[in-house]
Amino acid sequence: MKHFSKGLFVGAFVGALTIAAPLSYAATPKDQLVIGTSLAQVLSLDPHQATEGKAVEIMSNLYDRLVNSTPDGKIVPQLAESWKVDDKGITFTLRQAKFASGNPVTAKDVVYSIGRLLKLDQAAAANLKRVGYDKNNVDKLVTAVDDKTVRIDFSGQVTAEMLLYRLAASTTSIVDSVEVQKHVSDNDWGNAWMRTHSAGSGPFTLNRWSPNELVILDANKDYVTGAPKMKRVIVRHVPESQVERLMLERGDIDVASAMTAADLATFKDKQGFTIQRIPTGGFYVLSMNAGNQYLSNPKVREAIAYGIDYKGIEKTIMGPYGRARNVPVPENFEAAIPNPDWHLDVEKSKQLLAEAGFKDGFSLTLKTIAQTPRIDLATAIQASLAQVGIKIDIQQGNGSEIIAAHRARDFDLLIPQTSAYMPNVLGSMEQFSSNPDNSKEANNAGNFVWRSAWDIPELTALTAKASMEPDAKKRGELYVEMQKLFVEQKPAVLPMFERFEPIVLSSKVQGYVGHPTQLTRLESVTKSEAQ
Amino acid sequence: MKELSVAEFGRRLAHLLVSLFILLCVTFVIGRVLPTDPVGAIVGELADPAAYAAMRMRLGLDLPIYQQFFLYLNGLAHGDFGTAVLTGNPVSSDLAQAFPATFELATLAVIISTFVGVPLGLVAALFRDSLIDKIARVVALVGHSIPVFWFGIVGLVIFYAGLNWVGGPGRVDVFYEGLVTPQTGLLLVDSLLQGETEIFWNALGHIILPAIILAYAAMAYIARMTRSFTLEQLSQDYVIAARAKGVSPAGTILRHVLPNIAVQLITILAISYGGLLEGAVVTEIVFSWPGIGQYMTNALMIGDMNAIVAATIIVGFIFMFLNFLADVAYALLDPRMREAVR
Repeated sequence: MKHFSKGLFVGAFVGALTIAAPLSYAATPKDQLVIGTSLAQVLSLDPHQATEGKAVEIMSNLYDRLVNSTPDGKIVPQLAESWKVDDKGITFTLRQAKFASGNPVTAKDVVYSIGRLLKLDQAAAANLKRVGYDKNNVDKLVTAVDDKTVRIDFSGQVTAEMLLYRLAASTTSIVDSVEVQKHVSDNDWGNAWMRTHSAGSGPFTLNRWSPNELVILDANKDYVTGAPKMKRVIVRHVPESQVERLMLERGDIDVASAMTAADLATFKDKQGFTIQRIPTGGFYVLSMNAGNQYLSNPKVREAIAYGIDYKGIEKTIMGPYGRARNVPVPENFEAAIPNPDWHLDVEKSKQLLAEAGFKDGFSLTLKTIAQTPRIDLATAIQASLAQVGIKIDIQQGNGSEIIAAHRARDFDLLIPQTSAYMPNVLGSMEQFSSNPDNSKEANNAGNFVWRSAWDIPELTALTAKASMEPDAKKRGELYVEMQKLFVEQKPAVLPMFERFEPIVLSSKVQGYVGHPTQLTRLESVTKSEAQ
Repeated sequence: MKELSVAEFGRRLAHLLVSLFILLCVTFVIGRVLPTDPVGAIVGELADPAAYAAMRMRLGLDLPIYQQFFLYLNGLAHGDFGTAVLTGNPVSSDLAQAFPATFELATLAVIISTFVGVPLGLVAALFRDSLIDKIARVVALVGHSIPVFWFGIVGLVIFYAGLNWVGGPGRVDVFYEGLVTPQTGLLLVDSLLQGETEIFWNALGHIILPAIILAYAAMAYIARMTRSFTLEQLSQDYVIAARAKGVSPAGTILRHVLPNIAVQLITILAISYGGLLEGAVVTEIVFSWPGIGQYMTNALMIGDMNAIVAATIIVGFIFMFLNFLADVAYALLDPRMREAVR
């Protein structure tokens, strides 16, 4: 065998040398969409397990949810044809849809799916658990009225609007209960199988997933609104940004994401390409550990807030990735307050440090994931805080290291990022303003504020109150109050930049609209020959 | 002679196994001590502590490290490398998928580096200090000192994006993906076996550039070593005698020098081959090549220790095994070594 293959290689190599010139490579076919990105974080394609952005983007095309949120933030029907809200809950009427397997979508599947999400109880469940749904009450709160009618009762901690947005997330995808149950082993709810297969009613089905290589989606010809225009969608893992850029230029990929700011910049104003800058409603954040002797002092936190050159960093580093903003609510959201006057002011920052009793400064470590643009952001913060006398030692690591340190409160400063699950104040701010129990024993590592050991009982109570306020006007007032209180308390989770996801598209591609929570649907994407 | 050879063989084999075991221990300990968190990677950043603890237990990470090690060894004894966090598959089946891609690339690279490196070294030695020798030395030096990573990007810019001579990253153009069923796992072979000649040519266009770039550094090394082996031989009496008898330079090289340096060359080629399999890591990242290097890198990124340990052992084993083979070949082919053994 070895001899055979070696012989073959030699022959092939010589052959190739003689015909090298005429080899040419066609651009991607018209009925296939090729997306280049980094698949390194995709660990599962089970919608009730995976929460990583790239996985969500793929899963949102394999599965439908009861409702969908449009890129501009409206809730629209998906599997539910209509719904009625009353005091106690929401009643959904399902439309006549089929799973890719041919099984009809029934109320039983909806009940099974939401139950499965909460009983698997992984990160994907956090979104519903945060408002009072859990594995113990789900069977009571989510019920099938008849084959085509589902009833979801309020948990007591949620309004209709907040529930609908949560039901629009990829984590509440409706799976084919008949199909999934065929693949259960060791009481795993079919998770082992679902990680690498699909059982949905979405416009595409999963043909193949090779981790860190590619994902191939096939069109679901029987999709309820008709077969998608693309016969196949191929998502290719291209870990190197410069290589991705070359592939896009050459036409080997049609859509590119996860490029560095520098490579992105080469497509600005370039003919044949467009850049989409998708707002996420989330932020690049400087987390400060309030358990630290220096950082527990609000004056020190304020000194740091005045010690960062937001505008300069926005211009030179963030580029298409971010916009300076220190309130965890994008400024175009309704009821968003204007930015506080935090800007680089070395004198003021030094004065605040002196008032706090640290005239001579001190040293801190800053942990960050070694990833665009966070690593450059860390260096810039290091440089500007040095001017006020705070010496920063940067420690970079991979995702799992840094996240583990964050979860364990094992850091001084750390740069995480967030995203919003609905386009309003609560959707983007909730994770910054709620920390029900700050004690170490609470071990609430899933809570963003807890990780910073920042105790905010007043703000937590206000957040809970706002989330249960049915009157829109009063809710708006509470939203303003929340943001003001957040700024007043000198946050230990300091938002620095509103986060955007830039993608570059070949102009052959039409109908691709990036979604703020990565629920980008591809069924109406088309491609033309012309470039 | 035969008994002694067997004893020698046994000694070297034992040496190989001990080295492997040490490699295993070191990799395992480093892997478990590293502050990575595969559990967080699986259950997700926002999972609650109970789900986190349950997954930790399922992976056996709550046990003391020596127990984990014994469990691992026990699994290994049954041919079980554990389950990969990243894919949820047994690590062995992941490796069976990733390895052929690397093997294909490294094998082509070793062929290229041999067929270019050996003649280059011979010519350089034969025309010592001539222009050809100098060029060969510069080529070798460049190959030795420039990072593969940089070469890869430049190669892509020129030959893929600029000249359109070769295919881009990946083993095949994207729209051909998934059309060939893996049999041997070697795409060039499988596509031919299945009569997909179009895919074969496309795959060849994709492998040429990474193989040449990967081969370049090894080629430089092989050329350098061939040159010095040849120079050593050229000053030997038998060569001088042969030339005095009127044998042409080419004839001297082919009939006299080459057979005499063959044994040394085998060692060099074996080391290079091992190095190529290892060195494929960087090349694979640049060229999005779904081989063992990329598999390892991604496993490292999420702290997937079963995958890292297994891949390290496989690469280490191949490296050591090739060295072992070279040693054995040396002992078998070289009369002087045989004497020494005796």
